[in-house]
Amino acid sequence: MLDAFVSAAGYMVGNPMSFLLIIFSVVWGIVFGAVPGLTGIVGVALLIPFTFAFDPTEGMLLLGGVYVGSTFGGSISAILFNTPGSPEAACTSLDGYPMAKRGEAGKALGIALAASAVGGIFGTLVLMFAAPPLARLALEFGPAEYFALAVLGITAIASIGGGSLIKGLIAGLLGLAVALIGLDPLTGVARFTFGNMMLLTGVSFIAAIIGIFALAEVLQRFADGPPKGEQMAQVSTQLPSLAEFLATKVTLLRSSVIGTVIGALPGVGATTAAFISYSEAFRWSKRPELFGKGSPEGIAAPEAGNNSAVGGSMIPLLALGIPGSATTAVMIGGLTIHGIVPGPMLMQNNSDLVYSVFIGMLLANVLMLVFGLRAARLFAVVLKAPYQLVGPAIVVLCMTGVFALNNNVSDVAVMLVFGGVGFFLKSYGLPVASFIIGLVLGPIAEVSLRQGLILADYDMMALVTRPIAGTLLLLSALSLVYGIWGKLRRPPSDGPGNAQPEAS
Amino acid sequence: MTQLARHHLRAAVAVAAAVLTAAPALAADYPSRTVEVIHQYGPGGGTDRFIRAIAEPMQEATGQSFVPISIAGGGGVPAYVTFLQRPANGYTLVSLSPDDVINHALGRIDLTQVLPLVRIQYDQGLLLVSKDSELKSLDDVLAAEAASPGGLKVGVTGSAGFDDALIGLFNEKAGTELATVPFGAAEMVSNTLGGHLDMMYEEYGPTRGLIESGDLIPLVLFSDERLAELPDVPTAKELGYDVTLGRWRGFGIKPDTDAAELETLVSLFRDAAADEGYKKVEAESALQYRSEFMGPEEFQTFLDKEIETYSQIMNQLGY
Repeated sequence: MLDAFVSAAGYMVGNPMSFLLIIFSVVWGIVFGAVPGLTGIVGVALLIPFTFAFDPTEGMLLLGGVYVGSTFGGSISAILFNTPGSPEAACTSLDGYPMAKRGEAGKALGIALAASAVGGIFGTLVLMFAAPPLARLALEFGPAEYFALAVLGITAIASIGGGSLIKGLIAGLLGLAVALIGLDPLTGVARFTFGNMMLLTGVSFIAAIIGIFALAEVLQRFADGPPKGEQMAQVSTQLPSLAEFLATKVTLLRSSVIGTVIGALPGVGATTAAFISYSEAFRWSKRPELFGKGSPEGIAAPEAGNNSAVGGSMIPLLALGIPGSATTAVMIGGLTIHGIVPGPMLMQNNSDLVYSVFIGMLLANVLMLVFGLRAARLFAVVLKAPYQLVGPAIVVLCMTGVFALNNNVSDVAVMLVFGGVGFFLKSYGLPVASFIIGLVLGPIAEVSLRQGLILADYDMMALVTRPIAGTLLLLSALSLVYGIWGKLRRPPSDGPGNAQPEAS
Repeated sequence: MTQLARHHLRAAVAVAAAVLTAAPALAADYPSRTVEVIHQYGPGGGTDRFIRAIAEPMQEATGQSFVPISIAGGGGVPAYVTFLQRPANGYTLVSLSPDDVINHALGRIDLTQVLPLVRIQYDQGLLLVSKDSELKSLDDVLAAEAASPGGLKVGVTGSAGFDDALIGLFNEKAGTELATVPFGAAEMVSNTLGGHLDMMYEEYGPTRGLIESGDLIPLVLFSDERLAELPDVPTAKELGYDVTLGRWRGFGIKPDTDAAELETLVSLFRDAAADEGYKKVEAESALQYRSEFMGPEEFQTFLDKEIETYSQIMNQLGY
């Protein structure tokens, strides 16, 4: 392994082009992540034709850098404009934007950037040193385990809204209900599509979150009238002080571990990692009441989670040749076009390539710190403009971005509808976080439960008695009971009628 | 922000132009801009990769891009509907495969609204097990099924699609009751390797790495003849079960497209399918054996026959 490492390092030093490519790809990735609707997947897919001009190793460095850059990039627009540029950044909006609104945009971006780098480097180190055992662990995860994991995340919906149990449940169940729209994933029967062919794919997640966050925020701001003294003009991107950074160290570590493991699971990626990291950070936080109002932990958790999922999702790609996420699926396409067979033999047959990618991803994470600051400053200039100009510009950008995603007008319609949904949720004080968690984790829970039941010949006990699944389900149940008990003991302050036991 | 994006876009366009202007133009004014190819599968999947690979020589010949547009999900209907909404100006193609034929047979879409243009690939699939599986041959599968019918679970991709039709046809011929469970392509592999699924159905290309490393063992091939790459894997046909269905890949276009443009496209595809670089990509997935280029007339005849075949199969399967 050391030989391979040294040889790969030698290759990179003897090939200055590779450094240029990494710099280019990180910047490219940050931009694609930050501009709503462009997303990292599109960034990677667009670059695949250009990798023909390079050798496979350079090509993979290019794609890996974009992946790293775009996962952070999404948080810039999520924090500054409440407009998650890509799905994995949706969670970062929940606390990043409130903090920015307080006038601490610089601190929010700094936390996001530092957490991204920590998560990204953690994920890459695990990828370098523990890919084969972690790939084997991922294989232990069958449908029952996916289901239990999703349930663990979903149990947070009741409590995460920072107050009302019932409001959390309403929002979460609405999210779960919206996730049912589309073709039944197992039997192919249309559900709640009302004869509309384009709804068969289900509600496009990216269109929905852009509507819920960005459009609803613009509506809200215009509904509220001119801002009363809230200023974001001061947006220097200072990294958080060491003390502030150390305050989130437990969250960072927990989220990095969660992100890496979830990233390593095929079929679920950075978005799921971000949300589960967020709900776990909330569950274990000493100050859960700050979540949704600009909690530093609420920014650090999803960013460490989604960036460590980048390294994690490379694990099954390099160890088994199967993609751990949608972006790595595109990367596999890039590899095969170069005549490289992705599979367990890759590490032996192409060790130079694999280890160069490791080094490249570490470098990309460091470069991200450098360029992330610059990019954030560039984006933040927009905040100096009056909101009467910025608001409409955000709407236009969201519409074009969502359209460009699939050249599909119906996605734009979905976004507009969800702008209304977001506005409605806010007006009634229903927590957006719960709604989105239902939307993200609902389909995973549904599909894996039904797959698991088919595999177990519809024996429910066989599902819950599996060690990993059983443990996760038990944890969910305990935390639910604990949460409700806590609510009953100290009723939240924001209104009567919150602590009703029948809501469980 | 937009400035930065525009800057990159401009740089990308400049690079693309520099690369592409080197090639001579084939047709006078068509194609004069990007041609989009709508397909119903995920980015990075077999069809997406196929389009990118066949597009390479075509881009060299024309200087224009041919880009895959993935509209995944919904059993392929949204992709097809999107195609139908596009104008018949020669700049939108749709990928065609047995999944579309099945959708037609089930009445979800109407294939008479599309003109079959060219058929290029004809793949062949395998039943695969994990190396730790107790099933070592098709005989083991049949014995296990005889002992407890419906006990074995086969991972497939898509619901009520091509994979289901093939397994259903095999069940019919072999008297088994293999149950299919739909998964995403990657989860299907991890669930098979992890022992959660008994078997999986997949083509050779995507599983080649895992077959070569010995992690996945192919039990049976669905084709007319054995593959040179897998000389020890018997075909279902030689074992007495006549199932040779395979996934083919081709393209369709709006029927009222300009005739001269159709000519140009067909000849572009014909040249691209014979291109050395593309042939290499094809050979990596053992696709060269059954793939035979078909122009519009041949493809139409082939398609009509496929519609008949799959209508009958889906009928038998009770859809």
